[in-house]
Amino acid sequence: MFDFLIHGFEVALTPMNLGLAFMGALLGTLFGALPGIGPINGIAILMPLAYTLGLPAESALILLAGVYTGAEYGGRMSSILLNVPGDAGAVMTTLDGHPLAKKGLAGPALGLSAISSFVGATIAIIGLTLFAPLLAEVAVLFGPAEFFGLMVFAFASMSVMMGNDPIKTGIGAVLGILVAMVGVDSGTGVMRYTMGMPELYDGIDFVVMIIGLFAISEILLMLEHAHNKNVDDTMPPLGRVMVQLKEVVACRWAMLRSGLIGFVVGVLPGTGASVAGAVSYTTEKRLSDKDNTFGTGDMRGLAAPESGNNAAAVGSFVPMLTLGIPGSGTTAVLLGALMLYNITPGPMMFTERPDVAGGLIASLYIGNLVLLALNLPLAGLFAKVLTIPRWVLVPGIAILAFVGVYQLHSDLMAIYLMLVIGVVGYLLRKLGFSLAPIILGYVLGGLMEDNLRRALSISGGDMGILWQSGISIGLWIAAALLLMAPLIMAKLLSGKPAAQAQA
Amino acid sequence: MNIAADRILGLALIGLAALAAFNASQFEVMFSYEPVGPKAFPILLSAILAGLSLVLVFRPGDNGEWPDKHVALRLLAVLAVLLVYALLFTRLGFMVTTLVAVLMLARLFAASWAKALVAGVLMSVGSYYLFTLGLGISLPTGLWLPNFN
Repeated sequence: MFDFLIHGFEVALTPMNLGLAFMGALLGTLFGALPGIGPINGIAILMPLAYTLGLPAESALILLAGVYTGAEYGGRMSSILLNVPGDAGAVMTTLDGHPLAKKGLAGPALGLSAISSFVGATIAIIGLTLFAPLLAEVAVLFGPAEFFGLMVFAFASMSVMMGNDPIKTGIGAVLGILVAMVGVDSGTGVMRYTMGMPELYDGIDFVVMIIGLFAISEILLMLEHAHNKNVDDTMPPLGRVMVQLKEVVACRWAMLRSGLIGFVVGVLPGTGASVAGAVSYTTEKRLSDKDNTFGTGDMRGLAAPESGNNAAAVGSFVPMLTLGIPGSGTTAVLLGALMLYNITPGPMMFTERPDVAGGLIASLYIGNLVLLALNLPLAGLFAKVLTIPRWVLVPGIAILAFVGVYQLHSDLMAIYLMLVIGVVGYLLRKLGFSLAPIILGYVLGGLMEDNLRRALSISGGDMGILWQSGISIGLWIAAALLLMAPLIMAKLLSGKPAAQAQA
Repeated sequence: MNIAADRILGLALIGLAALAAFNASQFEVMFSYEPVGPKAFPILLSAILAGLSLVLVFRPGDNGEWPDKHVALRLLAVLAVLLVYALLFTRLGFMVTTLVAVLMLARLFAASWAKALVAGVLMSVGSYYLFTLGLGISLPTGLWLPNFN
């Protein structure tokens, strides 16, 4: 049953793909370390380049997956050194990471987080290897009705788990799905929401959407942060560079436990690294914080979320590769990238495109080793990236965004659209929206409608087909329970009006 | 500000939902092989959007921090630079527009004129050759004849 993995290593170990995994890991770490650019922005900015290189699908995916895991590694630097999390997944890392840096232990903290990231990611990659093929076998039984139910479940779990405002998460997802409706309807050839503009007939291009939403809005947010004097951005000294073996050993249980937790959380569709970081940190605090040292620079408080969020980052590949449902915003971007190559991830991918599925998993093993090798000795060098001034960084992002979008069709319309989407993205972020649900909605919207319509075509319009099989009934019940959960919890916990949970 | 930003957003989104639903109701299908058609799903989405937005109108969250006038003006300036960059991108060519855009953006992010100019020259020339020679992307060289269409 592990034929796909052996085949995958054959794909991943070709010199070109090995080089791409290495380059992806390096670029990802650099981009992740850049202040304010998390993994998702890094991929958004680098993705167009993967296309211009004219890479075959599996190579492009290996490159992007390298960027993804690399950026998760790099993202911790600003959390530890500057107390500024690069993305939501790194928030928990600041809690004990930054106090450690203030104690003069920035170097060991960086080393420890590299090791915990490695442990967490390794646990999750092994989990991915074991469970993905099994899940793919189950997923073959899914028909259109079950897929529709699965997506409803994914959106439900996302609304509850992602972000802190379920209503806004829901609105973001619906907005994303609506954006996916723009263009020619594949079933009937009807133009939808194109406003008579021929440029929109093919829908809003994926690259335009993510670069606008992430890169352009980030530029605007950075300008605001530049005027925010509350941020202390002086770098603490790194101190001794290597982490000691006994420090690592002291954190072994924190790493292992959190890796498992992170993997499970990552596998659930819609919940990514941010939830995993929070769950593993609080679990570890409850289990081993005997002397109340968590939050004051306890190494275990750094190892736990780092192991957890990296495990979740890998875990979210499981639903993406087997079901075609991304587990996080970043895997949603990767899913979109695959669809640009006319590969629809899903249960058939392991049988139809074992080179892509196996190659990706194999390259995760390799990339993870590369990352550890890069990050332990070079942490000090990567940390220098944090000192790049904004007046260099921002024009650089602008150039990459413009060229990335322009080279799609040599078309200015796409650039204007990108700017408009960027302003909307900025406003939504200011209003407390997280962008991940929007991008998930956008990526899944078309599939969701297709599956609904296909299911109802099979049944001749009878809605009953949507809850006919055991699998779909289970998914609907699970979705309903998830949506009810916060409602019930709120009532149980504080007697607060439960209205905030309805979604 | 006493009117919560979320209320305005909620109302705007309800407007958007109404527009999307109305627009969807106008999709005309000549002949359809399937029972659902292109209208139903967008209309369903509009209904969900309107429902969620209504919750937002009645239960707005806290207002967040909005930029003061000074920062807002700078934000508009950044947008203006990006817009002009886009407008002139093909007409004046990549190198010239990028130089100017980098210069202005660097200035807006508090670089001195000298630093901004150095950044502009290095980044525009460097990225031009990186993209064209290194990555094989064709970039506009500019329509140097002043034929502004």
